[in-house]
Amino acid sequence: MHIPDGYLSPSTCATFYLFAATGWYAALKRIKRLLATRAIPLISVFAAFSFVVMMFNVPLPGGTTGHAVGVGIAAIVLGPWGSILAISIALAIQALFFGDGGITTLGANCFNMAIVGSFTAYVVYRMIAANSKLESRHRVLAAAVSGYVAINASAFVTAVELGIQPMLFHDASGTPLYAPYPLHVAIPAMMIGHLTFAGLAEAAISAGMVSYLQRADLGLLRGVSGFAQAPGTIVADASPADSPGQRSPGQLSPRRLWWAVALLMLFTPLGILAAGTAWGEWSSADLMNPHTREQIGAASGNHAPPSSVPVGIEKLSTVWTAPFPGYAPRFIKSPAFGYLLSAMFGVGFMVLASLVARVAGGKWPRRDLRS
Amino acid sequence: MASTFEVQNISFSYEAIPAIRGLTLHIAEGDRIALLGANGSGKSTLLRILDALYFPSAGTLTFKGDALTEKHLQQDEFFLNFRRRVALVFQNPDVQLFNPTVFDEVAYGPLQLQWSKEDVIRRVDEMLHVMSISHLRDRPPYRLSLGEKKRVVLASVLVLDPEVLLLDEPTATLDPKSQSQVVDFIQQWKGTARTVITATHQLEIVEDIADRVFVLEAGTVIAEGTPLEILADTGLLLRANLIHAHRHSHGGVVHSHPHFHGQPRHEHEH
Amino acid sequence: MAPEGSALMSRHSFLERTLQGFTRAVSRALQSEHAASQPGLLQQLDPRVRVIGILALVIAVILCRRLEAIAAILLIAIAVAVASRVSLASLAIRVWLVVLGFSGVIALPALFITPGEPLFTLPALHLSISVQGVRTAVLLVLRVETAATLTTVLVLSTAWTHILKALRSLHLPAEIVTMLAMTHRYVFLLIETANQMFESRQSRTVGVLSGSEQRKMAARTAGVLLSKSIELSQEVYLAMLSRGFRGEVRVLTDFRFKARDYAGLTVFLFTGCLVVWIGR
Repeated sequence: MHIPDGYLSPSTCATFYLFAATGWYAALKRIKRLLATRAIPLISVFAAFSFVVMMFNVPLPGGTTGHAVGVGIAAIVLGPWGSILAISIALAIQALFFGDGGITTLGANCFNMAIVGSFTAYVVYRMIAANSKLESRHRVLAAAVSGYVAINASAFVTAVELGIQPMLFHDASGTPLYAPYPLHVAIPAMMIGHLTFAGLAEAAISAGMVSYLQRADLGLLRGVSGFAQAPGTIVADASPADSPGQRSPGQLSPRRLWWAVALLMLFTPLGILAAGTAWGEWSSADLMNPHTREQIGAASGNHAPPSSVPVGIEKLSTVWTAPFPGYAPRFIKSPAFGYLLSAMFGVGFMVLASLVARVAGGKWPRRDLRS
Repeated sequence: MASTFEVQNISFSYEAIPAIRGLTLHIAEGDRIALLGANGSGKSTLLRILDALYFPSAGTLTFKGDALTEKHLQQDEFFLNFRRRVALVFQNPDVQLFNPTVFDEVAYGPLQLQWSKEDVIRRVDEMLHVMSISHLRDRPPYRLSLGEKKRVVLASVLVLDPEVLLLDEPTATLDPKSQSQVVDFIQQWKGTARTVITATHQLEIVEDIADRVFVLEAGTVIAEGTPLEILADTGLLLRANLIHAHRHSHGGVVHSHPHFHGQPRHEHEH
Repeated sequence: MAPEGSALMSRHSFLERTLQGFTRAVSRALQSEHAASQPGLLQQLDPRVRVIGILALVIAVILCRRLEAIAAILLIAIAVAVASRVSLASLAIRVWLVVLGFSGVIALPALFITPGEPLFTLPALHLSISVQGVRTAVLLVLRVETAATLTTVLVLSTAWTHILKALRSLHLPAEIVTMLAMTHRYVFLLIETANQMFESRQSRTVGVLSGSEQRKMAARTAGVLLSKSIELSQEVYLAMLSRGFRGEVRVLTDFRFKARDYAGLTVFLFTGCLVVWIGR
C-alpha cells in the first residue's frame, strides 16, 4: 500500500501533503494538550512497534503470507491522534531509510494509512466495542473488524488516488504520465488483495493483540487514560467508575467523531462518481479499441498470468502490499464492481446512521471514551 | 553534617498497589548508603521518589531543606537546579540511551540545562576521556556492549557533577570483573562530599559500597545499621528475603542452612 | 515492509524468514554508517544542502514529462553516487533490482492495456503492445528508479542523525524530530528483543508448527513486544525527566554554511530547474 515516487502527479502529491500536514498539525496540538511531554517516548515506541509489525509475515490460510500495519492496535491504545503520529513516523522512516514508499508520496501514504486508517479503526472499534467489558470476546471481535475495515479503507483511498492519475495526467498522445491504471482497474485490483489477505492479516494481529492484552495487561486496553496529568507524575489509570461524568480536556468528543465519519463518507460517494466515469470511460475506450477488451477477456481463462497471479499477489503483497494482483486478465464485470461500491457506501451509511441514532437517543458515552 | 534528604513517613502506590508505606529515613551529605531489599521491596520506587520522578501521596520529603513537591518542581529554576544536583542511574541502561550517538547522549544533560555550546563540547570530551570511552564518541548506542552502555550512562550522569548519585542495581547482570569495576568506582567517592545511594540486593558488595545500610521490606524500612551489623543478622536477612537456605557443600560435607554466597564469615559447627 | 522472499512460503520457514528480515534491516543500517564517513562529494556538503538538493531533484523527477530528462537526472544521480563513494553494487541491490521487480511487474500490464497505436502484436495471444503503453511503462519505471536512487544516495551518504538535525534546522517541529530520532533508536531495540524472543521460541519448538499455531505465536509475540514497548516508553520518559527534559528539544546544531555549500545548493537547484524546463 506504500505508494512509491512517480506514481502520483506533483499536484496530487502536493494536495495530499496538505491534507496530511493538516492531520499532523491537529494531532500534534491534541497530543501536546493531552499528554504533555510523555507523548514523545510513547509515540516513538509505538512507531517503532508498528515498523517492526510491518516486518512480520503472518502465515494466512492457504499457505501464503501477508503483513499488517498495526494501525488497529495503535488506534485502540493511543487513540486516533496518537496513532496518526505513530504510524506517520513509521512510514517516514520506511520511506527515508528503507525506500519503502516515496518521499514525494509520503503525504499521500500518511493520509491513507495513518490518517484514514487510524480514524476508521478507532471509530469502528468504539462503535462495536461500545460499553462492553474490557475482558469480553466482544472487544476482540471489535478489534478484528476495526483492523480489517481500516486496512480496506486505506486501500480504497489509495486505489482512488492511483486510479484518477491517468484520467487527469497524461500527455498529448494520451500516455498516462504517472500511475497508468484507471479507477476501474485500480480499485478492484487493490481491493481484492486487501479484502482478502492484507485485511485478514491486520484483523488477526489486532484481534490477537487485544486478546493477549486482555490476559496480560488490561490497563493498556483501557488506553493510556491518565494523560491529562502534569509531567513528572506517574499516573494511576483513572478507572471509569471514578469519573462517570467527566471527560478530560481534549479527549475525543462526539463532535470530533462526526468529523472522522464525515471524512470516511467523503470517499465512498467519490467511489460512485468514479464508477460512473469509469464505466463511461470504459465504454468509450471499448469503442475505440473493440478488439482489446474481448481479447483480454477471452485470454483471461487461459493466459499464463492468471495462474501465476496468486504467486504474484503473495509476492507483491508481502513486500509492497502492492496494488495490482489480478488486473490484466481479470476485468471485473461492471455489475459486480457496482455491487462492491454500493456495499461500501452502504456500510458507511449504516455507520453514520447508527451514530445519529446514538446521539439522538442520548446514549453517547460521556466518560472516558477510550475505555 | 548537613542533611541531604529528609524523608518523613511517605507512602506511594502504583495504581491500587502500595509500593511504599510509612517510610522514614535521613540521609546526610557525603553519606554512602545501601538500600538493601529483595525485588519488590520498594527500593527502586524509593530511588525514583528521591529523584522527584514520583511524588508520594502522603508524608514529606525534602532535599537540602527544599520540599520536593510536584508544584515546586514545576518552577523552572528549581527544576534545573535539582536536576543538575541529583542524578539517577536506572537499572536498564537501554532506557537511558535514547540519543543517536554516545557524544549526544553525554551532551544531553548539559544541553537540557542550557549550557553554552563551547562548555558542552569541552565538558563532554573531558568526561568521555575520564570514562575511557572517547573511542566510542560517534557510536550509536545499539552498537555498544553491556559494559560499554553502563559506562556511557555513568558518563552521561556524571557530566553534570551531581552532588547526589542514585544507583539502581548497578551490578545486576554484570560479570564479576565488571562488577568489581563498578564497585571500585563507587568506592572512590568515599570521604568526598558526594552522597551515593545504591539500591541492591547483592549482599556481597554492600560492605564495599556503603557505610550505612537501610533494609527494605514490603515498602518500609525494617532495619538500619552498618554493613557488618546488618550482614551478621541472619534472622533479619531471612525475613527480608535476602538470603536463602539450600543444600550446598563445602569442606566435603553436604548440608543446608541460611547463608549467602560471599558472606564475610562462614564458620559453623557440623 | 517485509522481507523479500518467495511467494508461496512454506510454513515452517516463517520464523526464519522474519528473523532474516530483522538482521537484514540492521545490517542495512550499518551499511549506511560506512559510506557516511567516507570523503566523497556529498559528504563535503552541509547536510541541509544535501537534503534540500536531493529533494529538489526528486521533485524535478516528478515534474518531468519527458523520458530523456528523467534519464538525465538518473545519470546525474549515479554520478553523484560514485563521487560520494556510495557503492554501485549496494545501489543495485538495494534499489535497482527491487524497484525493477515491483514497478516492472506493475508496469508490465500497462504495455497491453494502455490504449493507443499498436506497436507489436504477440502472435499466439492476440495481445498488442501499444506505443503509449511502452512509453507509460518506461516512464513509470524510470521515475521510480531515479527517485529511489536519489533518496538512497542521500541516506547512504549521510548519518541519520545529521539528516534529522538538518530537518530540524529547516524548521521541522522539535517534537517530530525527537520522535523520529527515538523511533529510529527503538526500532533496533525492538528488533533485538524480537530476535531474542524468536530465537528462544525456535530453540524450544520441536517440529513444525501448523499455520494456526504460527499465527497464534505471531500474535502472542506481537503482544509481548507491545507490552515491552509501552513499559519501555514509560521508563524512557522518566529517564528523560531525570536528565532535565522539559518538553523542549535542544540539539547541538553546529552546521555552518561554507562557500562550497552555497555553490552546491545553487548547482542542485539550477540542475533541477533546467531539467524540468527541458523536460516540459
